[in-house]
Amino acid sequence: MNLFNIFNRRKNREAKTLEMQNNNESYWKIVRHQFKKNKIAVYSLRVVFIFVFIALFADFIANEKPLVAKYQGSVYFPVLKEYAVDLGMSDWQKEFRNVSWKDLEYDWVVWPPVPYLPRNIDVMNTWVGPFDDQNVPSKRWKHWLGTDDLGHDVLAGMIHGTRIALLVGLVSMGIAALIGIFFGAIAGYYGDNRLKLSIASIVIYLVGFVLAMFYAFGTRSYILTDAIGTSFGSFMWEFLISIILFVAIMVGFRYLSKLIKKLPINFKEIPIPLDILISRLIEIVVSIPQLFLIISIAAVVAKPSIFIVMIIIGLTTWTGIARFTRAELLRIRNLEFVEAANALGYKEWRIIVKHALPNALSPVLIAIAFGIASAILIESTLSFIGVGVPAETITWGSMLSKARQVSSAWWLAIIPGFAIFITVTIYNLIGEGLTDAMNPKLKK
Amino acid sequence: MLKYIFKRVLIFIPTLIVISLMTFVISINAPGDPVETMLNQNMGGDGQSGEKLANEQTYIDKRKELGFDLPLFYFSFTNKTYPDTLYKIPRKAHRETLQRLSYEYGVWENVGQYYKNLQKLELKVFEVMPNEENSSKLRKIKDNLSSLYLTYEEDKIKQTVENIEFDIFKDKNIKLSVEKEFFDFKNSYEHMLVDKKTINRYIPTIYWYGLKNQYHQWISNFVVGEFGISYQDKRPVSSKIFDALKWSMILSILSIVIAYMVAIPLGVRSAVDKGKTSEKIITTGLFLLYSLPNFWVATMLIQYLGDGDGLGWFPTHGLGELPETAPYWDRFFETAYHFILPLFCLTYASFAFISRQMRGGMLNVLEMDYIRTARAKGLKKQVVVWKHAFRNSLIPIITLFANIFPAAISGSFIIEVIFSIPGMGQLTLQAIFQRDYPIVFTVLMFSSILTLVGILIADIMYAFVDPRISFSNKKS
Repeated sequence: MNLFNIFNRRKNREAKTLEMQNNNESYWKIVRHQFKKNKIAVYSLRVVFIFVFIALFADFIANEKPLVAKYQGSVYFPVLKEYAVDLGMSDWQKEFRNVSWKDLEYDWVVWPPVPYLPRNIDVMNTWVGPFDDQNVPSKRWKHWLGTDDLGHDVLAGMIHGTRIALLVGLVSMGIAALIGIFFGAIAGYYGDNRLKLSIASIVIYLVGFVLAMFYAFGTRSYILTDAIGTSFGSFMWEFLISIILFVAIMVGFRYLSKLIKKLPINFKEIPIPLDILISRLIEIVVSIPQLFLIISIAAVVAKPSIFIVMIIIGLTTWTGIARFTRAELLRIRNLEFVEAANALGYKEWRIIVKHALPNALSPVLIAIAFGIASAILIESTLSFIGVGVPAETITWGSMLSKARQVSSAWWLAIIPGFAIFITVTIYNLIGEGLTDAMNPKLKK
Repeated sequence: MLKYIFKRVLIFIPTLIVISLMTFVISINAPGDPVETMLNQNMGGDGQSGEKLANEQTYIDKRKELGFDLPLFYFSFTNKTYPDTLYKIPRKAHRETLQRLSYEYGVWENVGQYYKNLQKLELKVFEVMPNEENSSKLRKIKDNLSSLYLTYEEDKIKQTVENIEFDIFKDKNIKLSVEKEFFDFKNSYEHMLVDKKTINRYIPTIYWYGLKNQYHQWISNFVVGEFGISYQDKRPVSSKIFDALKWSMILSILSIVIAYMVAIPLGVRSAVDKGKTSEKIITTGLFLLYSLPNFWVATMLIQYLGDGDGLGWFPTHGLGELPETAPYWDRFFETAYHFILPLFCLTYASFAFISRQMRGGMLNVLEMDYIRTARAKGLKKQVVVWKHAFRNSLIPIITLFANIFPAAISGSFIIEVIFSIPGMGQLTLQAIFQRDYPIVFTVLMFSSILTLVGILIADIMYAFVDPRISFSNKKS
């Protein structure tokens, strides 16, 4: 056992040195260096950080509850407390249940910069613009960016909308990257003839796959659909259980196929055309008009939710990432360090994950950056036409759509639209900067 | 060449089958009962038993006419609790409840018996003549019974059954006429509870249904060009789509032609002038245009140039309302006037995109050795650019040309919705909102086919522009 470990460690070191010789570390360095030269892209990245900050602290920037308040002799942190309540760790005191926070008599109080939540309704101020006279007690309560038909504060909506926009980009591209990198990697690495399986193992894997789908998703379909109805968290939890079940069954069948291999019967090995299969799959996904597909699925889902929209976007946009990864792996699999790792007898998934993929991911970043921009655009389009996103969720797109009701409400047309524009632009600029940075022709 | 095209078309077939399956799966999971939508009929209902029976019969007839009385697919692969004869139950909502019940209790025969007895009991209750003292009781029983069709939670069913029992035995008249049916129903209900086999959930089963199924019917109709009828106004889907497609086609083709005509010279110019200030401004401008969401631009244009509260320069709604009898040119100009704003919104984005691609392609080519050679031998710059570089820089934008066909269907989606142009976008969106699925799925299938055709055309055009690309023994 010990000897084996030492041997393993030596193999590791050898592979590392081989990788270093291929100048991979310095490749990343060059990319970073070139990217930093592109001032616009760097500034765009900074704007993204500002957006991330706003999204993370949206509850502290715009909230109906005070940040800190002294009420009836004791000090409270209502915004912080809300997190604890949402997580189920704490409960509101009796005096704070179903109260209008604005009307409480505090000893002293610190309000967030914007004392509204996007869903707060101000019946005294509907359709007021930033420069109109507003029916508010003092400047502290002014709607700086105006309100909509129900008196929702636009600034609060913008701040909380940032969170949704960034989350859409993150979640949908996260899903797309997982699927795209997986398919792209196996298509590129194995190609059409590298993966050889005996007929017996193919049958076993197919049976295993069908059974795994059956037990992980088929029999659990009611549990999963019920969980969607309850909450996003419980759905994720049930989904995770399904995935674990799926993997466990597949692993079980893998051992079964290993056992079969030990039998004295000689099965014929045939190559699996993974590349052709996956390219066909990509072609299928690409040939369905994305917006139509998303709108049809979103309209069919019984209970609209922004998370379902994110998942659908992720499931339909992975093809670009898969193509990039495939092309990179086709190149990398013939490089020396991969061949060396092969010769050292590493397991193939280990070569893919540890040696090939880290060197293939830089072009994928480009696809991800542009993908985030288009995901945000798709989501705002959906909210704009009112499909798939529930009516009570306030997003930039849904705010913009309200401008169509009253054409004098210029602030509702300009502000959310401008936010969408800026977000899309900066992600495109980052993608552009990455493309330039990785263009070998620019490398001097 | 022909062989290549033939091969490509053959490859389309599995792709199309997968797409049709996806479309079909979405359509059968769509909420709402299509038969009910078509009949504008509500479930349950009041009234007398005769009326109820007649209602049920029209429903069953309509369902048969639409072909929804068939099994869904050639086979089903599910667990053992899945009811193999479920498709025989007419109402969609009932099917969903029964499938769930069967999953909960594990034995479809028992659940089917429970459903049959429930129906018998309901019918019997409807036969009871209401009089003054029991009419409210009767009403309550009917409500409870019809809610049972939609309930699968164990405690809720139990509660409802108890309520029904209580109400039936309160009134002598009702009790006398429905007692037998009620006990039958209650027995089958209790049997279902006692004979619970949850282990059946974990036994995989395959049922074979054969060729007579909904998918087969749908896809064979699609192949021969019968797309069904719209649930909404009962017009054939094909004529509705044809009417809408006309406007979308005009809009998209105009926009693409304009975009290419402006974008190609501009892209070439900005590549040739690389480094000049004017070029930098153009490039930045194009980039910003490319990132501008077109629904935002449309909203702004309507607000500021539209005929509402804006400057009133352009109409913002529909295509004009001149009667058919008006002179042709009058109608033409009226429509053209209505087209200006939507056309602008559609064009600027693709225009920006194409010129950026053109610029990129041109820049790549201009760095090549043969361009330098051509310049070195003394050819004029104009000649080099247009004769030597241009043709080779076209390759990247040919891929974009493939997008024309799908764009004709779905490209103008939002713009059509915003400007209320009766094209494919508006048709599809309305169909989605009104759950008019025959239209939605025909559109989805059609646009997929057009995309595949577009990809094929792009591949062929590659060969014309770049003779180095050959179709025989293509290596990936």
